Amino acid sequence: MDTLNLILATTFAPFAAFVLAILFLMRQPRLAQVVVIAGGTLSLAGAVSLLSAGPVEPLRYLWFTSGDIQLRFGFLLDGLSLMFGVAVALITLCVMVYSLGYMGHDPSKTRYFAMLALFEWAMLSFVYAVDLMQTFIFWELVGLASFFLIGFWYEKPSATAAAKKAFLMTRVGDVGLFIGVLMVLQVAGHFDVPGLLATEGGLVAQATPAVLTTITLLIFVGIVGKSAQFPLHTWLPDAMEGPTPVSALLHSATMVAAGVYLMARLHPLFMGSETTLGIILIVASMTALLAATMAMVATDIKRVLAYSSISQLGFMLLGLAAGSLFAGVFHLITHALFKALLFLCSGLFIHHLETNDMAQIGRGGGRRMRFATAGLVVGGAALAGIPPLGGFFSKEEIFAALGHDGVTLFSVVALLAAFLTAYYTFRMIFLVTRPQQVEAVDVHGDHDRAEPLSMALPVVLLTVGAAVAGFWGGDIARGLGIEAGHHSLAAMAPALAVVALGVLVAWLDFGRQTATRTGFIARMPALERLFTNGWYVDAFYDAVIVRITMLAATILYAAESRLLDANFDRLGFGVLGLGSGTRRLQNGWVQFYGGWAVVLVGLAAAYFGMSD
Amino acid sequence: MTLEGYLTLSLMLFCIGVFAVLSQRNLIAVLIGVELMMNAASLNVMAFNRFSVTDPTTGQIFVLIIIGLAAAEVAIFLSIIVNLYRTRRTIDAEQLTELQG
Amino acid sequence: MLEQAVIYLFAALVLSGGLMAAWTRHILYAIIGLGISLFGVAGLFLYLGSPFLAAMQLLIYIGGITVAIVFAMMLSIAMTVTPPERNRAKTVFAAVCTAAFGLGVFQLVRAARFPAVSPAPEEAWSVGAIGHALLTHYNLVFETLSVVLLLAIMGAILIARPQRKAAS
Repeated sequence: MDTLNLILATTFAPFAAFVLAILFLMRQPRLAQVVVIAGGTLSLAGAVSLLSAGPVEPLRYLWFTSGDIQLRFGFLLDGLSLMFGVAVALITLCVMVYSLGYMGHDPSKTRYFAMLALFEWAMLSFVYAVDLMQTFIFWELVGLASFFLIGFWYEKPSATAAAKKAFLMTRVGDVGLFIGVLMVLQVAGHFDVPGLLATEGGLVAQATPAVLTTITLLIFVGIVGKSAQFPLHTWLPDAMEGPTPVSALLHSATMVAAGVYLMARLHPLFMGSETTLGIILIVASMTALLAATMAMVATDIKRVLAYSSISQLGFMLLGLAAGSLFAGVFHLITHALFKALLFLCSGLFIHHLETNDMAQIGRGGGRRMRFATAGLVVGGAALAGIPPLGGFFSKEEIFAALGHDGVTLFSVVALLAAFLTAYYTFRMIFLVTRPQQVEAVDVHGDHDRAEPLSMALPVVLLTVGAAVAGFWGGDIARGLGIEAGHHSLAAMAPALAVVALGVLVAWLDFGRQTATRTGFIARMPALERLFTNGWYVDAFYDAVIVRITMLAATILYAAESRLLDANFDRLGFGVLGLGSGTRRLQNGWVQFYGGWAVVLVGLAAAYFGMSD
Repeated sequence: MTLEGYLTLSLMLFCIGVFAVLSQRNLIAVLIGVELMMNAASLNVMAFNRFSVTDPTTGQIFVLIIIGLAAAEVAIFLSIIVNLYRTRRTIDAEQLTELQG
Repeated sequence: MLEQAVIYLFAALVLSGGLMAAWTRHILYAIIGLGISLFGVAGLFLYLGSPFLAAMQLLIYIGGITVAIVFAMMLSIAMTVTPPERNRAKTVFAAVCTAAFGLGVFQLVRAARFPAVSPAPEEAWSVGAIGHALLTHYNLVFETLSVVLLLAIMGAILIARPQRKAAS
């Protein structure tokens, strides 16, 4: 098969599955599952064979021409998109298979699987897009699909609220992104991504520094919304209202990853503006630290993972903004693997023990679930950055990139965040695996049902993936066309030290037999409150932004009700009065109507008699 | 009698019919008023046919058609009255005001 | 002279019968008034040159329609029932409307001028001429009228037959 057919099959297989499922298979959930998983498998096979074939020239097809502007659809198949496409397809397929078990009893699972397929189609098309407008369109479709999935259980008010919040907050960023994209068009006159990124004649050469800074900042606003960076991060924890496999998908390879991927895609543009890079560094490091502190105090296992996603996304952007494309992309891919794994494991716990609380999971006998516990430990260790697991190498790259210009504030913040990451990760692991006592009663009894094959298989697959992902660094670097540097043990020492410290503190607080299991932060109640309430960002939104909006709305309401509405009311009531007046004429007596009719005919006759 | 005379006569008959339609309470009497109006029209047509038309067949056929349509109208009207009486136990025009505004 | 007198007699029959039909509250009197009025109209038809239509008027109108109305009356209300009281306000309203209409149209009749035409030859008035025209030039109208009558009969039966109650 040639490249074009292959890429078309890769991207459109999920779309075809979506259409088939949503249009024809609403009544046959089993068939719908088969169709969607077949689509996902086809996609994965296509993505893998594309990757093995290696990068090719971009494929571009004219969509339409408007004046001087040509809008193209096409596929950009370079190292970055090929690798990430495989990651997307792989994780989506894992989630689909996992959902067979997790969503097995849901009455509307056809809709669920159809939306998963839609999500995969949007994300893959976004990843392979060659045209910035195409990128934007699929970017929005990714948001739409995640809206559907977060609000999947729409009977729950909190789920619909979370879906709306996710959609609206990412929209805030998307406005910025859209303006940025339009500015790109104004400056460059086209949307072609390879053309924009070219060293000669690209956007960096065409635009003045100020314009370039504006464009990249606007695009970054979109990334902030999508990748849940401070201050638009609050939608992500709420998005936990969706089914857990959806969270796994949302937090690893799709949705939030789209923001980081866009920055990686347009990395040369960002590299052209020092100001933008500085702002990204500030925002990303703040996010990494803030989210880590929130994860420290969360008790809901999914919330811990959600905050850790925000934090890790901050890490990726830090790596990218520090100038290392490789560091960001590497961490994006390893994180996708281990975060998907962690969510799927937490889903196993939640599915079986029917609680989200980590302490309750521990007491309920979570550690007896072998696959889930193994996955949790491996994924958690990878997240914390324990060598030689995935997260260690990629995070190491980020530290190396940050430390490139000597020790800066950012590298210190990143180290602190890494310490907190290790701490809260192992807090989670210890809470689940080392409870003070295990309640004897098991909820469902036997363990075969606790971890059905369809759910265990993806977990095993991702466990292996998360464990070995660290060794793919060289390949990924080659794929990106970058020479991976080798880091000496001395360079790795600070990172290793903070991770070890984090694990140690977590052990002291939660792991050992005599531990209090409260966490050192509880000794600083003010800080704990701050962290628990998410640094009051949502409260700030409620107090300030919502209040200002409400005030403006009140003023406008008064103006509207006094000036406009009152007059329209007068108009309306006038018509109403006229109506009730004339209504009396309609008294139901046919003879009454007939009388008026003949009178009018007589008048008309008299008129014609006069005029003659 | 002249054309104007016939026209005036038919107008008076028509007005009598209109008055019957407008004032009578019994639906059958209303129907009778309608019949009077139709006859006024027939008379009118015949008067014109006699005094100001060269071919007299047209007017006569016109009146024939009026008579035929009157028969059809009466059949429908009467069946409606019978049905009304069966369902409402009344054929008083002043009590059949359900379609008021 | 005698002819004129007979014409005026028929005209008087038309008007008096009509007034009787329009004014009475007893339905039976109204029907009799209608019959008288129709009879007068038939007589006028005779003097307007169409004995055929006069016969038709007697046959169809008086013989058919009036009898049908009598049937309807017997099917709907008992003849002995005292007729409802006249609604004074409505009567006045009807009279005013009728007067307005009559005056308006009378104005039109007075103002209009009609060309005088010499009467058509005698053979043009024959029944044969009418039959010929009906089956040639007015064939379509004739057939349409027959279809309308058929539909009216079917509709009348449909409306008047007893509604079947829903089986329950």
